[in-house]
Amino acid sequence: MALSAMAGGEDWRQPPDPGLTRPYLDEAGGVDVPPPVREASGVRPYLLTGGRVRPADASLEIEAQVQTTPAGHSDADRLMFEHRDIVVLCAQPISIAEVAARLGLHLGVARVLVSDLIEAGYLAVRRPDVGLPQNKKIIERVIRGLQAIR
Amino acid sequence: MDSKPSDEAGELAGKPPLPVKIVVAGGFGVGKTTTVSVISEIPLLTTEAAMTEVAAEIDRTGHVPQKTTTTVALDFGCITIDEEIKLYLFGTPGQDRFGFMWQDLTQGALGALVIVDTRRLEDCYAAVDYFEHHDIPFVVAANRFHGKLEHHLEDVRWALAVSEETPLISFDARQRRSVRDALLSVLHMSLARAEYPR
Repeated sequence: MALSAMAGGEDWRQPPDPGLTRPYLDEAGGVDVPPPVREASGVRPYLLTGGRVRPADASLEIEAQVQTTPAGHSDADRLMFEHRDIVVLCAQPISIAEVAARLGLHLGVARVLVSDLIEAGYLAVRRPDVGLPQNKKIIERVIRGLQAIR
Repeated sequence: MDSKPSDEAGELAGKPPLPVKIVVAGGFGVGKTTTVSVISEIPLLTTEAAMTEVAAEIDRTGHVPQKTTTTVALDFGCITIDEEIKLYLFGTPGQDRFGFMWQDLTQGALGALVIVDTRRLEDCYAAVDYFEHHDIPFVVAANRFHGKLEHHLEDVRWALAVSEETPLISFDARQRRSVRDALLSVLHMSLARAEYPR
């Protein structure tokens, strides 16, 4: 994998301390989501997101496709750590869920970082169209595609 | 390849694909991971996502007593449908409740495949409830462990109390074609309520 530009330490890849993950919960759909916990120290995922607990666009779907723009490619060397890793990773379009999985990031953190990069113009995004689940044309194409699997 | 500029990013070569998804739900150990990995064209990927503590408390698997973690692993794979569409399959974690995960996973989903182990039917109640309540098209699929079912499908339907309109099928999570057919039944449910875009 072309991830040699990956940031130094490996330990940030470990799942975050359980008690420290609440800031990334998206309250929008949550049931009984407790208020964010902010007091803890050493919260790396929290630091990664510059202290923000939700992406600029909290509704960004986990399957949304992101791809590095020419601006992203040319400025990659100037980006820091995870931002740079993402820009390098997304030369080919992939989903936010894949960004998280391939970089060992918590899903909520990946979403925040990807949002940053979209806002900065370094990533282009393609989101599922509104009304997609009711779009007969799309569903028929998916059926045809699946039928081709042997 | 067509190098028509995309709306969002000017000089990108072609647009990123259009993502669509189907949710693969069910209780712990019913075969969700097998189902996704047998048909995915990429090796199964896993990411950590948040889970509420409520869910952690009701996790009653003997292997992880009193699990206190608030993250949960989300497995997924994908299938290239055609030159434009990419289908994602998200396997929901085994726990009964996991707060925002459901919302996040099901938002915009074409439908859901609820996998059941006929020996532990109650494990899928939460998923069935959720999809019924949110009016998401779904199919209940009994995984034939070791090639057989422990109960007749009619008995399973009775026990689950799902409506007659909800397809109840049996499949083998280890067989790609069987998984494909199970996903196709989900899509036919989705199709039944879809319309051609105006």
